[in-house]
Amino acid sequence: MKTKHQGWGWMLAVDFFFAGMGGGMLVIAGIIELFIGGGNTSLLGNILGPLFMCVGCGFLVLELGRPLQAWRVFMNPKAILTIGAWIMSIAIVSGFIYASFGIASDAIFWKDWTFFRQFFALVNIVTGLVVATYPGVLLGRHKGRPFWVGPGIMALFLLSSMVTGAAAHLFSGFLVSAPVSQEVLNNLPGLVAAMLFLQVVLWCGYIWIKLTGTTEAEAASAKRWLNGDLADGFKFLFLLMGTVLPLVMVLIPTILTQGIGSLLVLLGGVSMRMLVVRSGEDRTWLPGEQKYRARLPLGCEDFMKKVWDNK
Amino acid sequence: MARYAMVMDTRRCIGCHSCTAACKVNNELPTDIIYNPVTTVGPTGVFPDLHMSNLPLICMHCENTPCVDACPTGASIRRDDGIVYVDDPKCVGCLSCVMACPYGARVKNHDTGAVQKCDFCKDRVAEGKLPHCVKTCHQKARVFGDLDDETSEVFKLVNSSNATRLLGELNTEPFVFYIFEKR
Repeated sequence: MKTKHQGWGWMLAVDFFFAGMGGGMLVIAGIIELFIGGGNTSLLGNILGPLFMCVGCGFLVLELGRPLQAWRVFMNPKAILTIGAWIMSIAIVSGFIYASFGIASDAIFWKDWTFFRQFFALVNIVTGLVVATYPGVLLGRHKGRPFWVGPGIMALFLLSSMVTGAAAHLFSGFLVSAPVSQEVLNNLPGLVAAMLFLQVVLWCGYIWIKLTGTTEAEAASAKRWLNGDLADGFKFLFLLMGTVLPLVMVLIPTILTQGIGSLLVLLGGVSMRMLVVRSGEDRTWLPGEQKYRARLPLGCEDFMKKVWDNK
Repeated sequence: MARYAMVMDTRRCIGCHSCTAACKVNNELPTDIIYNPVTTVGPTGVFPDLHMSNLPLICMHCENTPCVDACPTGASIRRDDGIVYVDDPKCVGCLSCVMACPYGARVKNHDTGAVQKCDFCKDRVAEGKLPHCVKTCHQKARVFGDLDDETSEVFKLVNSSNATRLLGELNTEPFVFYIFEKR
Protein backbone atom coordinates (compact mmCIF):
# COMPACT_ATOMS: atom_id res chain seq x y z
CA MET A 1 0.00 0.00 0.00
CA LYS A 2 1.43 3.36 -1.05
CA THR A 3 1.85 5.66 1.92
CA LYS A 4 3.68 8.84 2.68
CA HIS A 5 6.82 8.16 4.72
CA GLN A 6 8.68 10.22 7.23
CA GLY A 7 12.23 9.12 7.68
CA TRP A 8 15.85 9.13 6.75
CA GLY A 9 16.89 9.59 3.15
CA TRP A 10 19.71 8.46 0.89
CA MET A 11 22.23 10.86 2.39
CA LEU A 12 22.20 9.02 5.69
CA ALA A 13 22.84 5.77 3.80
CA VAL A 14 25.82 7.39 2.10
CA ASP A 15 27.03 8.63 5.49
CA PHE A 16 26.80 5.08 6.84
CA PHE A 17 28.75 3.83 3.82
CA PHE A 18 31.62 6.31 3.96
CA ALA A 19 31.85 6.26 7.75
CA GLY A 20 31.75 2.45 7.84
CA MET A 21 34.31 2.08 5.07
CA GLY A 22 36.59 4.64 6.75
CA GLY A 23 36.22 2.84 10.08
CA GLY A 24 37.02 -0.49 8.41
CA MET A 25 40.11 1.00 6.79
CA LEU A 26 41.34 2.27 10.15
CA VAL A 27 40.85 -1.14 11.75
CA ILE A 28 42.66 -3.00 8.98
CA ALA A 29 45.56 -0.54 8.91
CA GLY A 30 45.81 -0.72 12.71
CA ILE A 31 45.82 -4.52 12.81
CA ILE A 32 48.45 -4.73 10.07
CA GLU A 33 50.55 -2.13 11.90
CA LEU A 34 50.43 -3.96 15.24
CA PHE A 35 50.64 -7.57 14.08
CA ILE A 36 52.61 -7.45 10.80
CA GLY A 37 54.57 -4.23 11.09
CA GLY A 38 54.55 -0.56 10.16
CA GLY A 39 54.53 0.74 6.59
CA ASN A 40 52.66 -2.24 5.17
CA THR A 41 49.59 -0.33 4.06
CA SER A 42 49.62 2.42 1.46
CA LEU A 43 49.82 6.04 2.56
CA LEU A 44 46.87 6.75 0.29
CA GLY A 45 44.79 4.11 2.08
CA ASN A 46 45.79 5.45 5.48
CA ILE A 47 44.75 8.98 4.48
CA LEU A 48 41.55 7.87 2.74
CA GLY A 49 40.23 6.14 5.90
CA PRO A 50 39.72 9.29 7.99
CA LEU A 51 38.97 11.30 4.84
CA PHE A 52 36.06 8.99 3.98
CA MET A 53 34.74 9.49 7.50
CA CYS A 54 34.86 13.26 6.95
CA VAL A 55 32.87 12.79 3.74
CA GLY A 56 30.36 10.68 5.70
CA CYS A 57 30.05 13.45 8.30
CA GLY A 58 29.38 15.91 5.49
CA PHE A 59 26.48 13.82 4.22
CA LEU A 60 25.14 13.45 7.77
CA VAL A 61 25.15 17.22 8.20
CA LEU A 62 23.37 17.70 4.86
CA GLU A 63 20.71 15.20 5.96
CA LEU A 64 19.80 17.36 8.95
CA GLY A 65 16.82 19.69 8.80
CA ARG A 66 18.99 22.45 10.27
CA PRO A 67 22.55 21.75 9.01
CA LEU A 68 24.02 24.93 10.48
CA GLN A 69 23.24 23.68 13.97
CA ALA A 70 24.94 20.33 13.44
CA TRP A 71 27.20 20.92 16.45
CA ARG A 72 24.22 20.22 18.70
CA VAL A 73 24.44 16.49 17.93
CA PHE A 74 27.36 16.34 20.38
CA MET A 75 25.17 17.44 23.29
CA ASN A 76 23.35 14.36 24.64
CA PRO A 77 25.85 11.72 25.82
CA LYS A 78 23.03 9.20 26.36
CA ALA A 79 22.09 9.15 22.66
CA ILE A 80 23.68 6.64 20.30
CA LEU A 81 24.03 9.29 17.61
CA THR A 82 25.97 11.53 20.00
CA ILE A 83 28.27 8.70 21.04
CA GLY A 84 28.83 7.86 17.38
CA ALA A 85 29.59 11.50 16.54
CA TRP A 86 32.17 11.78 19.33
CA ILE A 87 33.87 8.47 18.52
CA MET A 88 33.94 9.32 14.83
CA SER A 89 35.57 12.67 15.62
CA ILE A 90 38.25 10.93 17.67
CA ALA A 91 38.74 8.35 14.90
CA ILE A 92 39.18 11.05 12.25
CA VAL A 93 41.81 12.92 14.27
CA SER A 94 43.59 9.72 15.26
CA GLY A 95 43.41 8.41 11.68
CA PHE A 96 45.02 11.52 10.22
CA ILE A 97 47.74 11.53 12.91
CA TYR A 98 48.47 7.86 12.18
CA ALA A 99 48.58 8.54 8.42
CA SER A 100 51.03 11.39 8.98
CA PHE A 101 53.66 8.88 10.19
CA GLY A 102 53.85 7.58 6.62
CA ILE A 103 54.64 10.93 5.00
CA ALA A 104 58.28 10.97 3.91
CA SER A 105 59.06 14.56 4.80
CA ASP A 106 61.46 16.12 7.26
CA ALA A 107 58.64 18.34 8.46
CA ILE A 108 57.07 15.23 10.00
CA PHE A 109 59.64 15.07 12.79
CA TRP A 110 57.62 12.45 14.67
CA LYS A 111 57.61 9.90 11.86
CA ASP A 112 60.13 7.67 13.66
CA TRP A 113 58.33 7.65 17.01
CA THR A 114 57.28 4.02 16.83
CA PHE A 115 55.52 3.92 20.21
CA PHE A 116 53.19 6.78 19.26
CA ARG A 117 52.53 5.28 15.83
CA GLN A 118 51.50 2.02 17.48
CA PHE A 119 49.45 3.90 20.08
CA PHE A 120 47.47 5.66 17.36
CA ALA A 121 47.12 2.37 15.49
CA LEU A 122 45.52 0.94 18.63
CA VAL A 123 43.22 3.96 18.96
CA ASN A 124 42.31 3.51 15.29
CA ILE A 125 41.37 -0.13 15.86
CA VAL A 126 39.10 0.66 18.81
CA THR A 127 37.44 3.76 17.38
CA GLY A 128 37.30 2.28 13.88
CA LEU A 129 35.47 -0.77 15.19
CA VAL A 130 32.94 1.45 16.96
CA VAL A 131 32.41 3.57 13.84
CA ALA A 132 32.03 0.44 11.72
CA THR A 133 29.50 -1.06 14.13
CA TYR A 134 27.50 1.88 15.43
CA PRO A 135 25.08 2.31 12.47
CA GLY A 136 23.98 -1.27 13.13
CA VAL A 137 23.58 -0.57 16.84
CA LEU A 138 21.65 2.60 16.02
CA LEU A 139 19.24 0.78 13.70
CA GLY A 140 18.96 -2.41 15.74
CA ARG A 141 17.50 -0.53 18.72
CA HIS A 142 14.49 0.76 16.76
CA LYS A 143 11.66 -1.20 18.37
CA GLY A 144 9.08 -0.10 15.86
CA ARG A 145 11.10 -0.86 12.71
CA PRO A 146 10.64 -4.60 12.10
CA PHE A 147 13.41 -5.09 9.57
CA TRP A 148 16.03 -3.38 11.68
CA VAL A 149 15.19 -4.47 15.19
CA GLY A 150 17.56 -6.93 16.85
CA PRO A 151 21.31 -7.47 17.08
CA GLY A 152 21.65 -9.14 13.66
CA ILE A 153 21.83 -5.86 11.77
CA MET A 154 24.86 -4.90 13.86
CA ALA A 155 26.85 -7.90 12.55
CA LEU A 156 25.84 -7.11 8.97
CA PHE A 157 27.04 -3.52 9.24
CA LEU A 158 30.29 -4.50 10.94
CA LEU A 159 31.04 -7.10 8.29
CA SER A 160 30.15 -4.78 5.42
CA SER A 161 32.31 -2.01 6.89
CA MET A 162 35.25 -4.38 7.22
CA VAL A 163 34.92 -5.78 3.70
CA THR A 164 34.54 -2.33 2.12
CA GLY A 165 37.49 -1.11 4.20
CA ALA A 166 39.64 -4.03 3.05
CA ALA A 167 38.58 -3.51 -0.57
CA ALA A 168 39.40 0.20 -0.35
CA HIS A 169 42.86 -0.64 1.06
CA LEU A 170 43.37 -3.16 -1.74
CA PHE A 171 42.44 -0.60 -4.39
CA SER A 172 44.59 2.08 -2.75
CA GLY A 173 47.49 -0.36 -2.72
CA PHE A 174 47.18 -0.74 -6.50
CA LEU A 175 47.06 3.01 -7.04
CA VAL A 176 50.03 3.89 -4.83
CA SER A 177 52.16 0.84 -4.46
CA ALA A 178 55.35 2.33 -3.05
CA PRO A 179 55.11 1.67 0.70
CA VAL A 180 52.85 -1.39 0.45
CA SER A 181 54.22 -4.75 1.38
CA GLN A 182 53.64 -7.31 -1.37
CA GLU A 183 52.75 -9.88 1.30
CA VAL A 184 49.90 -7.69 2.56
CA LEU A 185 48.74 -6.97 -0.97
CA ASN A 186 48.78 -10.69 -1.76
CA ASN A 187 46.72 -11.58 1.31
CA LEU A 188 44.10 -8.82 1.15
CA PRO A 189 42.15 -10.41 -1.76
CA GLY A 190 41.78 -13.64 0.22
CA LEU A 191 40.51 -11.68 3.22
CA VAL A 192 38.05 -9.74 1.06
CA ALA A 193 36.79 -12.95 -0.58
CA ALA A 194 36.34 -14.68 2.79
CA MET A 195 34.36 -11.75 4.17
CA LEU A 196 32.24 -11.56 1.01
CA PHE A 197 31.39 -15.25 1.37
CA LEU A 198 30.46 -14.66 5.00
CA GLN A 199 28.36 -11.71 3.89
CA VAL A 200 26.30 -13.91 1.55
CA VAL A 201 25.74 -16.45 4.33
CA LEU A 202 24.80 -13.83 6.93
CA TRP A 203 22.43 -11.97 4.63
CA CYS A 204 20.65 -15.14 3.54
CA GLY A 205 20.30 -16.13 7.20
CA TYR A 206 19.10 -12.68 8.21
CA ILE A 207 16.40 -12.51 5.53
CA TRP A 208 15.27 -16.06 6.29
CA ILE A 209 15.05 -15.38 10.03
CA LYS A 210 13.06 -12.19 9.41
CA LEU A 211 10.82 -14.03 6.96
CA THR A 212 10.01 -16.73 9.48
CA GLY A 213 10.34 -14.31 12.37
CA THR A 214 8.40 -13.59 15.46
CA THR A 215 6.00 -11.01 14.09
CA GLU A 216 3.97 -10.55 10.92
CA ALA A 217 5.55 -7.13 10.47
CA GLU A 218 9.03 -8.69 10.31
CA ALA A 219 7.91 -11.24 7.74
CA ALA A 220 6.24 -8.52 5.64
CA SER A 221 9.37 -6.37 5.77
CA ALA A 222 11.53 -9.31 4.62
CA LYS A 223 9.19 -10.03 1.71
CA ARG A 224 10.02 -6.61 0.30
CA TRP A 225 13.61 -7.87 -0.12
CA LEU A 226 12.61 -11.06 -1.88
CA ASN A 227 9.59 -10.11 -3.98
CA GLY A 228 8.86 -6.46 -3.31
CA ASP A 229 10.26 -3.11 -4.34
CA LEU A 230 13.69 -3.82 -2.79
CA ALA A 231 14.12 -7.21 -4.48
CA ASP A 232 15.88 -6.02 -7.66
CA GLY A 233 18.35 -3.90 -5.72
CA PHE A 234 19.01 -6.67 -3.23
CA LYS A 235 19.42 -9.53 -5.69
CA PHE A 236 21.07 -7.76 -8.61
CA LEU A 237 22.97 -4.79 -7.17
CA PHE A 238 23.95 -6.07 -3.75
CA LEU A 239 24.10 -9.87 -3.96
CA LEU A 240 25.20 -10.38 -7.58
CA MET A 241 27.14 -7.23 -8.53
CA GLY A 242 28.31 -6.23 -5.06
CA THR A 243 29.08 -9.58 -3.45
CA VAL A 244 29.23 -12.73 -5.64
CA LEU A 245 30.89 -11.18 -8.70
CA PRO A 246 33.64 -9.39 -6.73
CA LEU A 247 34.15 -12.56 -4.68
CA VAL A 248 35.15 -14.32 -7.89
CA MET A 249 37.05 -11.38 -9.33
CA VAL A 250 39.32 -10.70 -6.35
CA LEU A 251 40.41 -14.33 -6.39
CA ILE A 252 41.72 -13.98 -9.96
CA PRO A 253 45.30 -12.78 -9.38
CA THR A 254 45.49 -9.86 -11.80
CA ILE A 255 45.50 -6.19 -10.89
CA LEU A 256 42.65 -5.47 -13.31
CA THR A 257 40.21 -8.06 -11.94
CA GLN A 258 41.13 -7.37 -8.33
CA GLY A 259 40.85 -3.61 -8.88
CA ILE A 260 37.43 -3.88 -10.52
CA GLY A 261 36.40 -6.41 -7.87
CA SER A 262 37.34 -3.93 -5.14
CA LEU A 263 35.22 -1.21 -6.71
CA LEU A 264 32.29 -3.62 -7.03
CA VAL A 265 32.58 -4.37 -3.30
CA LEU A 266 32.13 -0.65 -2.68
CA LEU A 267 29.08 -0.66 -4.96
CA GLY A 268 27.68 -3.52 -2.88
CA GLY A 269 28.36 -1.65 0.34
CA VAL A 270 26.59 1.53 -0.69
CA SER A 271 23.64 -0.30 -2.27
CA MET A 272 23.20 -2.42 0.87
CA ARG A 273 22.99 0.68 3.04
CA MET A 274 20.55 2.36 0.65
CA LEU A 275 18.30 -0.69 0.82
CA VAL A 276 18.57 -1.03 4.60
CA VAL A 277 17.76 2.62 5.22
CA ARG A 278 14.84 2.42 2.79
CA SER A 279 13.52 -0.69 4.50
CA GLY A 280 13.15 1.45 7.62
CA GLU A 281 10.04 2.94 6.01
CA ASP A 282 8.26 -0.12 7.35
CA ARG A 283 6.95 0.46 10.81
CA THR A 284 4.87 -1.77 13.04
CA TRP A 285 1.58 -0.23 11.95
CA LEU A 286 -1.15 0.51 14.44
CA PRO A 287 -4.65 -0.80 13.68
CA GLY A 288 -6.05 0.96 10.63
CA GLU A 289 -3.07 3.31 10.36
CA GLN A 290 -1.74 2.07 7.03
CA LYS A 291 -5.17 2.55 5.41
CA TYR A 292 -5.45 6.01 6.95
CA ARG A 293 -2.04 7.14 5.73
CA ALA A 294 -2.64 5.70 2.27
CA ARG A 295 -5.59 8.07 1.93
CA LEU A 296 -3.51 11.16 2.70
CA PRO A 297 -2.70 13.28 -0.35
CA LEU A 298 0.50 12.13 -1.98
CA GLY A 299 2.13 14.22 -4.67
CA CYS A 300 -0.15 17.24 -4.31
CA GLU A 301 1.52 18.77 -1.25
CA ASP A 302 2.30 22.04 -3.05
CA PHE A 303 -1.32 22.52 -4.03
CA MET A 304 -2.51 21.68 -0.51
CA LYS A 305 0.02 24.07 1.02
CA LYS A 306 -1.06 26.86 -1.33
CA VAL A 307 -4.72 26.35 -0.44
CA TRP A 308 -4.00 26.05 3.27
CA ASP A 309 -1.75 29.12 3.38
CA ASN A 310 -4.39 31.18 1.57
CA LYS A 311 -7.25 30.01 3.72
CA MET B 1 3.46 16.33 41.04
CA ALA B 2 0.80 15.37 38.53
CA ARG B 3 1.15 12.47 36.10
CA TYR B 4 -0.88 13.28 33.03
CA ALA B 5 -2.56 10.58 31.01
CA MET B 6 -5.27 10.24 28.41
CA VAL B 7 -7.88 7.55 27.91
CA MET B 8 -9.42 6.89 24.51
CA ASP B 9 -12.79 5.24 24.83
CA THR B 10 -13.16 3.71 21.37
CA ARG B 11 -16.71 2.61 22.24
CA ARG B 12 -17.68 6.28 22.15
CA CYS B 13 -15.60 7.48 19.19
CA ILE B 14 -17.68 7.90 16.02
CA GLY B 15 -14.74 8.87 13.79
CA CYS B 16 -15.87 12.48 13.16
CA HIS B 17 -12.26 13.77 13.15
CA SER B 18 -13.25 16.82 15.21
CA CYS B 19 -10.22 16.24 17.42
CA THR B 20 -7.93 16.16 14.39
CA ALA B 21 -9.36 19.42 13.07
CA ALA B 22 -9.38 21.17 16.46
CA CYS B 23 -5.74 20.26 17.04
CA LYS B 24 -4.68 21.28 13.57
CA VAL B 25 -6.44 24.64 13.64
CA ASN B 26 -5.63 25.68 17.19
CA ASN B 27 -1.99 24.61 17.01
CA GLU B 28 -1.70 26.16 13.53
CA LEU B 29 -0.17 23.03 12.05
CA PRO B 30 1.02 22.93 8.44
CA THR B 31 -1.06 20.94 5.95
CA ASP B 32 1.03 17.80 6.08
CA ILE B 33 1.29 17.54 9.86
CA ILE B 34 -1.39 15.72 11.82
CA TYR B 35 -0.82 15.10 15.52
CA ASN B 36 -3.87 12.97 16.16
CA PRO B 37 -5.25 10.97 13.26
CA VAL B 38 -8.32 8.82 13.73
CA THR B 39 -8.08 5.48 11.98
CA THR B 40 -10.88 3.12 11.14
CA VAL B 41 -10.60 -0.57 11.92
CA GLY B 42 -12.86 -2.90 10.04
CA PRO B 43 -15.52 -3.65 9.17
CA THR B 44 -14.78 -7.14 10.43
CA GLY B 45 -16.95 -10.20 10.92
CA VAL B 46 -19.63 -11.79 8.78
CA PHE B 47 -23.04 -10.23 8.06
CA PRO B 48 -25.09 -9.61 10.11
CA ASP B 49 -22.47 -9.74 12.88
CA LEU B 50 -20.30 -6.90 11.56
CA HIS B 51 -18.11 -4.62 13.61
CA MET B 52 -16.23 -1.41 12.92
CA SER B 53 -14.40 0.87 15.31
CA ASN B 54 -12.50 4.13 15.24
CA LEU B 55 -9.13 4.52 16.84
CA PRO B 56 -7.90 8.00 17.79
CA LEU B 57 -4.10 8.08 17.72
CA ILE B 58 -1.78 10.55 19.38
CA CYS B 59 1.68 10.73 20.96
CA MET B 60 1.60 8.15 23.72
CA HIS B 61 3.74 10.23 26.13
CA CYS B 62 5.58 7.07 27.15
CA GLU B 63 7.29 6.39 30.45
CA ASN B 64 10.20 4.71 28.64
CA THR B 65 10.70 7.16 25.81
CA PRO B 66 12.68 5.80 22.85
CA CYS B 67 12.39 9.22 21.19
CA VAL B 68 13.98 11.11 24.09
CA ASP B 69 16.73 8.49 24.40
CA ALA B 70 17.50 8.78 20.68
CA CYS B 71 17.67 12.59 20.55
CA PRO B 72 21.33 13.63 20.21
CA THR B 73 20.71 17.30 21.04
CA GLY B 74 18.53 17.04 24.13
CA ALA B 75 15.67 18.75 22.25
CA SER B 76 13.25 15.93 23.08
CA ILE B 77 12.28 16.30 26.69
CA ARG B 78 10.10 14.30 29.06
CA ARG B 79 8.88 16.36 31.99
CA ASP B 80 8.31 14.94 35.45
CA ASP B 81 4.55 15.17 34.87
CA GLY B 82 4.98 12.84 31.89
CA ILE B 83 4.50 15.33 29.07
CA VAL B 84 6.95 14.70 26.24
CA TYR B 85 7.68 17.65 23.99
CA VAL B 86 10.23 19.08 21.56
CA ASP B 87 12.24 22.15 22.52
CA ASP B 88 12.22 23.62 19.03
CA PRO B 89 15.36 25.81 19.14
CA LYS B 90 17.48 22.80 20.14
CA CYS B 91 16.15 20.48 17.41
CA VAL B 92 18.41 19.99 14.37
CA GLY B 93 15.96 17.80 12.45
CA CYS B 94 18.07 14.65 12.45
CA LEU B 95 14.88 12.53 12.55
CA SER B 96 16.35 10.15 15.14
CA CYS B 97 13.23 10.57 17.25
CA VAL B 98 10.94 10.17 14.23
CA MET B 99 12.53 6.83 13.45
CA ALA B 100 12.67 5.76 17.10
CA CYS B 101 8.99 6.40 17.85
CA PRO B 102 7.05 3.16 17.31
CA TYR B 103 3.76 5.07 17.13
CA GLY B 104 4.61 7.44 14.25
CA ALA B 105 3.75 10.38 16.48
CA ARG B 106 6.50 12.70 15.30
CA VAL B 107 6.79 14.57 12.03
CA LYS B 108 9.30 16.88 10.43
CA ASN B 109 8.19 20.39 9.58
CA HIS B 110 9.81 20.98 6.20
CA ASP B 111 9.53 24.74 6.57
CA THR B 112 11.41 24.99 9.86
CA GLY B 113 13.55 21.86 9.52
CA ALA B 114 12.61 20.77 13.05
CA VAL B 115 10.49 17.91 14.34
CA GLN B 116 7.07 18.54 15.86
CA LYS B 117 4.72 16.48 17.99
CA CYS B 118 1.75 16.59 20.32
CA ASP B 119 2.60 18.06 23.71
CA PHE B 120 -0.81 17.50 25.32
CA CYS B 121 -1.32 21.28 24.78
CA LYS B 122 1.01 21.86 27.73
CA ASP B 123 0.39 25.61 27.79
CA ARG B 124 -3.34 25.04 28.19
CA VAL B 125 -2.78 22.33 30.77
CA ALA B 126 -0.60 24.75 32.76
CA GLU B 127 -3.61 27.07 32.89
CA GLY B 128 -5.84 24.27 34.12
CA LYS B 129 -7.54 23.81 30.75
CA LEU B 130 -8.00 20.63 28.72
CA PRO B 131 -6.09 19.88 25.50
CA HIS B 132 -7.94 21.05 22.37
CA CYS B 133 -8.70 17.51 21.19
CA VAL B 134 -10.30 16.60 24.52
CA LYS B 135 -12.27 19.82 24.78
CA THR B 136 -13.71 19.46 21.31
CA CYS B 137 -14.71 15.79 21.53
CA HIS B 138 -18.49 15.92 21.79
CA GLN B 139 -18.72 12.17 22.38
CA LYS B 140 -16.44 12.34 25.44
CA ALA B 141 -14.32 9.65 23.85
CA ARG B 142 -11.15 11.35 25.09
CA VAL B 143 -10.58 11.71 28.80
CA PHE B 144 -7.57 13.64 30.09
CA GLY B 145 -6.39 14.07 33.64
CA ASP B 146 -3.97 13.42 36.44
CA LEU B 147 -3.29 9.76 37.03
CA ASP B 148 -1.97 10.51 40.52
CA ASP B 149 -5.36 11.93 41.51
CA GLU B 150 -7.39 8.94 42.66
CA THR B 151 -10.63 10.89 42.32
CA SER B 152 -10.04 11.74 38.66
CA GLU B 153 -12.01 10.08 35.89
CA VAL B 154 -8.83 9.14 34.11
CA PHE B 155 -7.60 7.27 37.20
CA LYS B 156 -10.84 5.32 37.44
CA LEU B 157 -10.85 4.42 33.76
CA VAL B 158 -7.20 3.37 33.68
CA ASN B 159 -7.73 1.18 36.71
CA SER B 160 -10.84 -0.41 35.26
CA SER B 161 -10.40 -3.90 33.96
CA ASN B 162 -10.58 -3.06 30.26
CA ALA B 163 -8.03 -0.26 29.79
CA THR B 164 -5.13 -1.33 27.62
CA ARG B 165 -2.08 0.08 25.85
CA LEU B 166 -1.13 -0.03 22.18
CA LEU B 167 2.03 -2.01 21.34
CA GLY B 168 2.46 -2.77 25.02
CA GLU B 169 4.90 -5.53 24.11
CA LEU B 170 7.50 -2.90 23.18
CA ASN B 171 7.80 -1.92 26.84
CA THR B 172 7.54 1.80 26.19
CA GLU B 173 4.79 2.10 28.83
CA PRO B 174 2.54 4.58 27.05
CA PHE B 175 0.40 6.91 29.13
CA VAL B 176 -2.38 6.96 26.58
CA PHE B 177 -4.77 4.14 27.35
CA TYR B 178 -7.47 2.55 25.22
CA ILE B 179 -10.80 1.05 26.07
CA PHE B 180 -12.14 -1.33 23.46
CA GLU B 181 -15.56 -2.85 23.19
CA LYS B 182 -15.63 -6.35 24.64
CA ARG B 183 -16.75 -8.79 21.97
